[in-house]
Amino acid sequence: MTLHIVNKSPYSSRALADCFASFADGDALLLIEDGVYALTGFIADNIAVAPVYCLEADVRARGLQMPKGIQSLDDTGWVKLCTEHNPIVSWFQ
Amino acid sequence: MKFSLAVYAAPHSSQSAASALRFARTLLEQGHQLYRVFFYCDGVHNGSAIAAPPQDEANLVGQWQALQKQYSLDLVICIAAAQRRGVLNRREAERLERPAANLAEGFELAGLGQLADAVANSDRLVTFGN
Repeated sequence: MTLHIVNKSPYSSRALADCFASFADGDALLLIEDGVYALTGFIADNIAVAPVYCLEADVRARGLQMPKGIQSLDDTGWVKLCTEHNPIVSWFQ
Repeated sequence: MKFSLAVYAAPHSSQSAASALRFARTLLEQGHQLYRVFFYCDGVHNGSAIAAPPQDEANLVGQWQALQKQYSLDLVICIAAAQRRGVLNRREAERLERPAANLAEGFELAGLGQLADAVANSDRLVTFGN
């Protein structure tokens, strides 16, 4: 099943919203770079898909708290997640 | 598992180019194969030998070169995107009558067909957008 990778903040881009629109059962969402800002504010309460992963280094670099229900990954975990899903779709516009 | 990466971002325009390098390094350390890295759009700037970032900032070009040497990687720069942005090897510089060539050692210029080939011959393609 598809791994969706979002690297843009939902406050500045439609990437996450577009991703949600094509999210199917069995897919997974990975938030990286500014995409981790989806873990904040009203957006965080409205993530209706699962499972959701994020890169721990990117979360820490932005001083964010990890909400419950989100799994954080180091780089090794990131690679492993990519081996478990196919295809891998990146959303960045 | 065999990976290929597509990199769309220039080294200093966003975090994406650095993420791609991190991902490449990690997958190689985990024993996976990296079939090809294809640099497209502004990503072609990752192969410019004349970029001179300050010493206290990451030098992505140099780090890609080191990784290329260590693992004999196939680092391919899209030739059409590179011509527009001024990333040329010696042959292209002469052909297009430009005053200098700046393609970094370890990188090659090639066409979009190399991306299609990478998709066909890899288990996974991971795209790093701008």
